[in-house]
Amino acid sequence: MSTIVRPGEGILFMKIGTHAQEGLAEIIARKAEEIRSTGYGMWGYGGNTCHPTSMVQPFANIFAEQGREIHLCMEEMESNHYAEPLCAAEYSADGVEWKEIPPGIQVRGSKYALVIDQLHPESFKLRLDQTKVPVGPSMGRIGSRYIQGRVDKACLEILEHPELSNEAPAREIEIGLVARLVDPYAVFLRGQR
Amino acid sequence: MKSPFNWLRPRSRQTEAPAKQVVAKPERTDRKIDLRAALNAVSDVVQNRPRPLRIFDQIHMKTGDMVMQSEIVADWSDGKRIAFIGDGDGISVCVTYLQAKGILPFGPVHITVFDFDERTVNAVNRFAEKNGINNLDAKLYNVLDALDTNLDFDLFYTNPPWGASNNGESVNVFVQRGIEATRFAGEGMVVIADDDELEWPKRVLASVQAFSLQNGYYVSKMQRKLHEYHLDDAPDLKSCNLYVGALPGNGARRTKSENITDEERLENFYGRSKAPRVHYVRERKRLEYGFAHDDEFELSMLGTKK
Repeated sequence: MSTIVRPGEGILFMKIGTHAQEGLAEIIARKAEEIRSTGYGMWGYGGNTCHPTSMVQPFANIFAEQGREIHLCMEEMESNHYAEPLCAAEYSADGVEWKEIPPGIQVRGSKYALVIDQLHPESFKLRLDQTKVPVGPSMGRIGSRYIQGRVDKACLEILEHPELSNEAPAREIEIGLVARLVDPYAVFLRGQR
Repeated sequence: MKSPFNWLRPRSRQTEAPAKQVVAKPERTDRKIDLRAALNAVSDVVQNRPRPLRIFDQIHMKTGDMVMQSEIVADWSDGKRIAFIGDGDGISVCVTYLQAKGILPFGPVHITVFDFDERTVNAVNRFAEKNGINNLDAKLYNVLDALDTNLDFDLFYTNPPWGASNNGESVNVFVQRGIEATRFAGEGMVVIADDDELEWPKRVLASVQAFSLQNGYYVSKMQRKLHEYHLDDAPDLKSCNLYVGALPGNGARRTKSENITDEERLENFYGRSKAPRVHYVRERKRLEYGFAHDDEFELSMLGTKK
């Protein structure tokens, strides 16, 4: 059993695949190199389910205050992401103070990025009915009922037990790639270079 | 006044068969509304509305629900003066525009919008001027500041940050300003999250009802799970209309409006770990207001190679 999926831990779940016209293998190689050369990398994404200041940072702070690490757990999927591979020029943790993105880091076709310092393949199963949303307007919703339709990423807390329900068969997600989030956890992006 | 949208509302469940009665049908002209004209009018408002800033919990109501909500507000406020404590949705504009175009034959005498987002304030005032709406204006105001003591409205309306992370305290701040704007003697409509599965909306509803009671207001009506929003991270979350009204003689307990500086009330104001730091959102002036911005596109001319 994975050491990541334990009751009380916080994970950020995300489906991943081709992004901004770049294949997943190329993205992983590029991000691994960013971490090697810069000490951290930026994993680009979009959508408000993991808005940097409304969701990810408050979520990460809950667990960081308890001395816990937050992991990004990723499930590979088939996707065609046609966003233009425009490379962001600046990042901001709060949307007010902006800094230049280091030259060794490229975040393409994204509004936001997660800040990570480790990235490695790791295979395990994640039961979505043993998770719940700990922050934001869906706070308290069970993960299996939250991640559906257009919702393909989420901040989740692992529960002691799966929800007891006859509603639907348990949903297990195959996680294949894991990253560790570091302060400031998620940032806004802007500009082009 | 009879509402032309009554057919849209959920019907109450009958526990017994009602006694047979002969009910005279109201005049057809009293019930009929031009739905196409109403939708197109609200479409004008949506086109004029500044894009939402999620960082301040600005989340827009879906357009169909705006039509319904506008009719509900117009019906409730017929002949009255309303203070809108914040209005990123543009319901104030919809209500007065539908009146001005004759689509709704009833509505408020006047609406004033108080909002800390200058984009919203200017959008309201520009739209009112352009469309000859004489009973609508907007003022720049942050709810954390004391309210002008000369204000005197009959009603208040607010759709505030929903207080998921502060047990409804952010809602209570907006409700407090609404109560002050109506001199502790009016009525209010509070648009607030409503969900049977989640715990926090129930706690927030309880908190807001308790706060209202502390200030001499009682809950007079609740219309449950009415509105949907452009909210990626909670697409199923709905809101209700919670109506509150002042108890008789409550105007005597009116107190002076003061700045809100209590850290406990400000903690998690716009969500967890999100205390307010910004006084106003200022609008960047543009010549091409309402049109595509120059930085959105470039032109590739006929007869030129790519």
